Amino acid sequence: MAAGGYTGRILRVQLGEGNFKVDKLPLEWIRDYIGGDGFAAKLLYEEVPAGCDPLGSHNKLIMSTGPITGTLWPMSGRTVFVSKAAQTGIWGESHVGGFIGPELKYAGYDMLVIEGQSDKPVYVLIEDSNLQILDAGKFWGMKTHEVTAAIKKEHTDPDIQIAAVGPAGERKVRFSSLIINNARAAGRTGMGAVLGAKNVKAIAIRGHGAVEVSDHEAFTTLAKAAHMRVRTNPQAQEMGKWGTWILTAVKQEIGELPTYNHRTGVFSGWEKLSGDYIRPRYTISDRACFGCSLGCKKMNYVREGPFAGTLGEGPEYEGLMAFGSGLGIADYPTTLKANQICNRYGMDTISAGATIGFAFEAFENGLITTKDTGGLQLEWGDSQAVIKLLEMIGKREGFGDILAEGSRAAAERLGRGTEQYAIHVKGLEVSGQDGRTHRSIALGHATGARGADHLRSLVVVDQLGYEKVAADRWGADKLPEIIDPYTEKYKATAVVESENAYCIRDTLIVCWYSVSWPPIFWMNDFADMLPLATGEKSFGDVKNLTRIAERQVTLKRLFNAREGITRADDNLPRRFTHDPMPEGPGKGQTVDLEPMLDDYYRLRGWDLETGLPTEKKIRSLSLEWTKKYAPSH
Amino acid sequence: MQVRSPEVVRLPSQLTVDYTKCTGCRICELACSAKHEGRFQPSLARLKIIRYDDLGIDIPNVCGPCEEAPCVEVCPVYAMRRDPISKMVFLDHDKCILCKSCVGACVNGVILLDTTEMRIIKCDHCGGDPECVKVCPTGAIQYGPISSATTFERHGKVASYLREIEHSAETQQSDGAS
Repeated sequence: MAAGGYTGRILRVQLGEGNFKVDKLPLEWIRDYIGGDGFAAKLLYEEVPAGCDPLGSHNKLIMSTGPITGTLWPMSGRTVFVSKAAQTGIWGESHVGGFIGPELKYAGYDMLVIEGQSDKPVYVLIEDSNLQILDAGKFWGMKTHEVTAAIKKEHTDPDIQIAAVGPAGERKVRFSSLIINNARAAGRTGMGAVLGAKNVKAIAIRGHGAVEVSDHEAFTTLAKAAHMRVRTNPQAQEMGKWGTWILTAVKQEIGELPTYNHRTGVFSGWEKLSGDYIRPRYTISDRACFGCSLGCKKMNYVREGPFAGTLGEGPEYEGLMAFGSGLGIADYPTTLKANQICNRYGMDTISAGATIGFAFEAFENGLITTKDTGGLQLEWGDSQAVIKLLEMIGKREGFGDILAEGSRAAAERLGRGTEQYAIHVKGLEVSGQDGRTHRSIALGHATGARGADHLRSLVVVDQLGYEKVAADRWGADKLPEIIDPYTEKYKATAVVESENAYCIRDTLIVCWYSVSWPPIFWMNDFADMLPLATGEKSFGDVKNLTRIAERQVTLKRLFNAREGITRADDNLPRRFTHDPMPEGPGKGQTVDLEPMLDDYYRLRGWDLETGLPTEKKIRSLSLEWTKKYAPSH
Repeated sequence: MQVRSPEVVRLPSQLTVDYTKCTGCRICELACSAKHEGRFQPSLARLKIIRYDDLGIDIPNVCGPCEEAPCVEVCPVYAMRRDPISKMVFLDHDKCILCKSCVGACVNGVILLDTTEMRIIKCDHCGGDPECVKVCPTGAIQYGPISSATTFERHGKVASYLREIEHSAETQQSDGAS
């Protein structure tokens, strides 16, 4: 049996009945989908009906791990939450580090599926085979760090891993997140609202069991060597020191640091948001997620000023962008405080910052006034206004209630032409990149299954000029265009190949860092490792892994197609396609999306007109089974 | 009642810990269980990382250094003994009656009862070549004679750390934040 690394069990929590059910993990899922994201895509497609309300009882929240989750392989502590997204109504996924994925494996389960709806507040306790749905009445209303501490205390076990919903998730803020043990966030697409709508305050997991791989000796030897590759990589060492803050300076230099709601790509106050500035002044300790020898997490403390006393992890580069440059704020403590509020209320920093940026820009242009905001003046760079708005969103108070719907829905509600300032794709706010000065991410944002996504296909090889890596992966004949950030040519090749590799990354599940950047592990490394972990020989073939990745990308696309997504939705905000970059190294650049989309669909085997997978492609990827679950209308 | 006076020994080599360097990644727990159990099972690792997520502090708990070893003192059947040469405490499984006294007495909480196989699990410093030290990416766990230099360095770090925590607790209290 090819099943090393897996526990072979799926745990279902049936909230309506108040029951648990343990299913066997189907063996053919392993062969066709590997794990993680792939398992979740299969289950979501089969079990969540087309057109259902993401906040209704038919939606499911899936937590999924991979074959090497909980092993010694570097950065293998990640897990994914998948659901029909509360924010966008399409495919939703959110990956998170920390320790909760391995804990689920040690408890004896590869996947956790939360189904139905509870009629009163509950939390779910999973301690090996001790499974309970417990009353959470006394926890309702608590912030995430409070409920985390309370559950640990209640069960007198500091090692319980807790995924908590904050006040934002309880109130179904569309971009609410799940917060794991205080500071790890399954941030995007609104997982907090999905769980909050089910009346579940938290998932608490503790496991004492083991993960056993197929060839323990060989796997362990390879994993230790892999750790040494990370430990001796100069860029990984830098990353360990500065965390993702290392990006601020890089992005400023290439003119891709989103500023003033993505209006421009350079920010005059960037230095105060850079690692060089932050670390010596604010960082008090370095931390890591499970099994990570890089350690990019930083604990920070503000000693003076209006936010003195703020102690917390983060924010990441994306948070610095969302609450810093994006809102014209050149002040690290503001971003730390904003990040902490987001963690405590349970909200996504990227969408929260972008939605506030939307409001700021609409206010600046007179489309909304103090009548809309309840008297609040919105001005770029105003830290106090940002903090105030975040709390109003978390509590759904006044103007915050409108912003809690996310920028797309808020613009629809406000009207008056405000939609031009809602910078989103498919309802998900654009992350901290800009296609005008980095063409491949324009294509990634437009085609990402969950919306404007920087984690499924972001090519860094072109952006940072890794000429040799590019030649190895895509052929020297595609140079120099493929690493030229200002041309559309060959960008689909880079995006498709990166998306495939990241797909495998997300089935294992391992971290972005060490795969996507710095480029340490790639498909061939996974092909070397996976057969040792699982015993499944077919995983040793890169071609087969590529096919599995294609299957997964296409399956997510079919899920979105079932919800009505077509080529017309694979678009970008007008800002990127029509307003030239106003300044910086990429001055004058805009995105010409359509030719890249054509190339992308061609490479994916999707129809150029509709953007949907062709019959031939569906057959060649053995996805005919999806037809059984087509909408009945 | 007669109380034995505890045996105090000079330790040639020990595991030492610098928690200011620990990132809480738990690679040591993984490698430990991989080596001794042949599988990945941190709950049976011979050492334990305590993570305080609210404070951002991670503390490795390892076996020793114990100049006076409570596990040796408490063992009613002399199953827990010191090796006369290496001074390492080891467990004689043939003598052990699984009374769990050592589990309770261990000041670092790293002696375990494995309830599946019914045996006491205790670190043996891998016979003088500890796996946890080799895999630790930051040098937070080291093995060797305890030199006074590192002790001094550590004292300064701990002191500044504690001041920081105290200060933050005060400020958080005074501004009424939760």
